Amino acid sequence: MLQISRKIAAIGALGALVLAMPVGPIGVQKAAAQDFPEKPIEVIVPFKPGGRTDTVARLIGEKIQSEGLLNQPMAVVNADGGAGANAVNRMRRGDEDGHTIMHWHHQALIAMAMELGDFDLEDFKSIGYTGGGSPVWVVREDSEFDTLDDLIAHLKQNPRGLVEAVGIGTIPHFVGSMLANEAGFETRYVTANSGADRLRLVLGGNADIALFAASEYIAQGEGLKALVYFGRDRLPDLPDVPTAMELGYDVSWANPNWWLAPASTPDETVAALGAALEAAIGDPDIVEYFRNNTLQPYWTPGDEAMADAQKQLEALQAVAATIN
Amino acid sequence: MLDAFSLLFEWQNLLFLFIGTALGIVVGAIPGLTASMLIALTLPLTFHMDPVSAVTLLIGEYVGGISGGLITAILLRMPGTPASIVTTFDGYPMARQGLAERALALGIMASVVGGIISWGFLAGMSPTLARFALQFGPWEYFTLVLMALVMLAVLSQGSMIKGLLAAALGMAFALPGIDSSIGQARLTFGSSALLAGFGLLPVLIGAFAISQILRDAATPRQEARLDMPTSKLPIYARDMRYAPKLLRGSVIGTWIGLLPGIGANIAALVSYSTEKQLSSEPEKFGTGHEPGVVAAESANNASIGGALIPLITMGIPGSVTEAILIGALTIHNLQPGPLLFQNAPEIAYGIIAAYLVANVLMLMLMWGAVRYIARIVQLPRSGLMAVILVFCVTGSYAINSSFTDVWVMIAFGVVGLGLEYCRVPLGPFVIGFVLSPIAEEQLRAALMMSDGNLLEIFGRPYALVFLVLAVATVAWPAIAVRLGARARADKAEDPS
Repeated sequence: MLQISRKIAAIGALGALVLAMPVGPIGVQKAAAQDFPEKPIEVIVPFKPGGRTDTVARLIGEKIQSEGLLNQPMAVVNADGGAGANAVNRMRRGDEDGHTIMHWHHQALIAMAMELGDFDLEDFKSIGYTGGGSPVWVVREDSEFDTLDDLIAHLKQNPRGLVEAVGIGTIPHFVGSMLANEAGFETRYVTANSGADRLRLVLGGNADIALFAASEYIAQGEGLKALVYFGRDRLPDLPDVPTAMELGYDVSWANPNWWLAPASTPDETVAALGAALEAAIGDPDIVEYFRNNTLQPYWTPGDEAMADAQKQLEALQAVAATIN
Repeated sequence: MLDAFSLLFEWQNLLFLFIGTALGIVVGAIPGLTASMLIALTLPLTFHMDPVSAVTLLIGEYVGGISGGLITAILLRMPGTPASIVTTFDGYPMARQGLAERALALGIMASVVGGIISWGFLAGMSPTLARFALQFGPWEYFTLVLMALVMLAVLSQGSMIKGLLAAALGMAFALPGIDSSIGQARLTFGSSALLAGFGLLPVLIGAFAISQILRDAATPRQEARLDMPTSKLPIYARDMRYAPKLLRGSVIGTWIGLLPGIGANIAALVSYSTEKQLSSEPEKFGTGHEPGVVAAESANNASIGGALIPLITMGIPGSVTEAILIGALTIHNLQPGPLLFQNAPEIAYGIIAAYLVANVLMLMLMWGAVRYIARIVQLPRSGLMAVILVFCVTGSYAINSSFTDVWVMIAFGVVGLGLEYCRVPLGPFVIGFVLSPIAEEQLRAALMMSDGNLLEIFGRPYALVFLVLAVATVAWPAIAVRLGARARADKAEDPS
């Protein structure tokens, strides 16, 4: 009997160990003698593990630790759900001295424009952008449309004549709507909540158009055809795909890796975090990962990022008004 | 492919596969902790491993995690993972009748057979099957899930009214959250905590594990202990008669696993209901009937192999677990998709090979350990339940790092207790909760796509087949009664 209890206890302890393992600091480095940070920094990612936002947060956190850019490690915590509301609630319960921060992207602005959660730009202090990427608009390879102009001409002749796979109230929906408003066409929607859903709907012929990260499109390799890239300049990996701006539509979308802190975080702390992030994004390993995933590694300081976000939010609010 | 196997048999890869499978089984068996949680937690560790080792570790965890769930489902009626909800229906009654080892042995054998059959599909027919699965659009998803929902009526024990009531209640609890068809909050009453809706895991753990813990706490004298297991795992030559059932369960599991977004729990449910429909003694299902365990466990394991097909051929993850797997690959600069076989064949074939070997390891591990694990039913319930409660709370919290989920879990524990008290079955409740959001979303997506034209379903052959099957499921009991009556009448009239 006793033996079995011990076995159960061992299984339990093993489980507890598994739970505790990645969360705890692995090795605390004493690189710089600073007051901040005093303890591991919690980075809240408002998505399930495995996505781009999560991966970038983990890579940069690892780099900051291995290079001793801060004298405490970063621990990534995933808080998916409620269009970011779970993550924001968690941030609010945490420290306001820079030990609790978020890594998000412009889906945050869409949630604000849709008035989904009870948060706004005023709730945050922007630490900065560590690079970002832009998406492509894609049709099936055997589609009759070879250029965006063909597609738009068709849609003008047959309003709502093509099906676009989007998650309502997500980035693909908004980027598509921006282009549709700008060019004056309309599509029919089919709900697709993830990149995986969009991919299966387009490849299977259940949707005609979908938005993908450039890296997702390149990895697919066959079966798809990109008509337009939403970055400001052409992507080196996709030299033949024109930008929307080139084609005469004033639409661009760059989705940054955005680091945020609670609004009341002291400026010095934000600056210290910013300096560490800026150094990390310049690291060759990180640059290599970004390049391999069609992301651009760059650093935008907090204020500048906030101003950009403010402008973007206004544009999104205008789109949101046309959607509802 | 042979290269992949020889690479796999390098000692460190085999070791990682072994560790992964073992960890997966342990975590899968613990109510509250799931395979996807384990994989998310080990993901950072894989950053520093070579890609093949990383993949073998994660595949082992995936296979182990889905398989381990059957242990607690059978012994304690607490599904260790959502995939083993259906296993509780017949597994637990068997354990109550003193047949715990028999149920475990059947469950393990069915899991392995399911895994190996679906591996056959994965290794042999991936591109064809992936292309087939892609044809499934919103109409097909909707009618498939509708068919599974209708089978609820078949699943409910005793009073059909109570079964339907439970299902309706489950569906009602699935309503709050962000309505994905319009991107707006629904029934959240202004609470940002409710924006995410009620999570599957908190509801599941609450309804099964917490309600059981509460019931135990409220029972002054413990229920009679189950018999001490003998140390033999009973599998007999006569079990070959289950071969057709195993094959059916595995094929259903693989094909449902193929469809991204529809997972192991639904595979087990459809397989179980199908087996019950086909059975000559359907009334025995739910009372500790061996084919019930076989149908559920072969299908839920087979669904993993099915789900790996769109993952490795198209880069489409079928579940959260697989999305994390893709994350692990991108860290190593590998992007799953059609190009994976060209760019990194050792990874693409490595996944396929690891899946087969993980199933074999799972069999060895579970077969070796199960006679000891089966003894947990002999432990003092008070101590055991305390340990399980700790894991339930930790697990519910860990999904989204949110304490709201823990309260949701406790609340659903009370709901589960209340339902049992009123003799309303839990199975249809949880299944209504799982299936109705998919059905709703897909129907609305289909209607968006067709501009509100319901008749478009007639241009969709597969959808039509599912719809006909759904209607037949509803109508079958009435038809069966008439046929039975006629047969008896014929016999009575027969002069001989």
